[in-house]
Amino acid sequence: MNLFSGATLHALEQGLNGAALKQRTISQNIANVDTPNYKAKKVVFQHALDEAMEGKAFQAYKRDNRHIDFSNSNSRGPYVTSQKGTMYNHNQNNVDIDMEMAELAKNQIYYNALIERLNGRFNSLQTAIKGGR
Amino acid sequence: MTIFHGFNTTASALTAQRLRMDVVSANMANAESTRARLVNGEWEPYRRKMVVMEPNQKAFSSYLNKAMNHLNDPGQGVKVTRIIEDRTPFKLVYQPNHPDANQEGYVSLPNVDPLREMVDLLSATRSYEANVTTLNATKNMLMKALEIGR
Repeated sequence: MNLFSGATLHALEQGLNGAALKQRTISQNIANVDTPNYKAKKVVFQHALDEAMEGKAFQAYKRDNRHIDFSNSNSRGPYVTSQKGTMYNHNQNNVDIDMEMAELAKNQIYYNALIERLNGRFNSLQTAIKGGR
Repeated sequence: MTIFHGFNTTASALTAQRLRMDVVSANMANAESTRARLVNGEWEPYRRKMVVMEPNQKAFSSYLNKAMNHLNDPGQGVKVTRIIEDRTPFKLVYQPNHPDANQEGYVSLPNVDPLREMVDLLSATRSYEANVTTLNATKNMLMKALEIGR
């Protein structure tokens, strides 16, 4: 059995990656709160994470075992989309500063929670390594 | 593409907002300046200045990421492309004793509206504060990440 290849560690890692990307995206949105024609960006990863954990990723329908799976290495990771079509200010900008600040706080707590979990994992491992001493 | 990238994004916004405040200060300071520029031997009053901002996407990495279809690049913050002058007409005030008054006794004063400048200043200050909050949030996350495995 491998020490670090558990599903939990992998999921936590993916979660941290997504939260870090989300942090950068929120920074970008808040930085451009006064920029005309700027459209807010959004990170899509929560659903990807859920899918990955429940094994509900988009599967190819295979009738023969020589058929090839969809390559979903790209679709699993977090990605950034732009929210076009709405307007929040008179200058075509659609950054909702209140929402961004709320997302910022949420993301921070989420990130901290993930770190706490990761530390819990490592502490359990350490306890096992030291034989409970 | 590291997490330090978030710092750079926020830093660019802090620079831009500070520049906006500087421009507001310049406008307010020159609200009564009647001799800003010599045009065809005649003094022209100060013109109100404005900043033009746009998302900073000129970096090579953003083009590379787009070309390679990497969708995990939120952008590189904001930048001030230029400072432009407000072309609205000057205010005309009747002051016959003023050295820059015309034949009818009117002086053209800068097109600076102190009210509008104060609103702009407030907006810049609030944006600056929002970005400082973001910077602190990013910093706290980084510090927390250093605690992994401790």
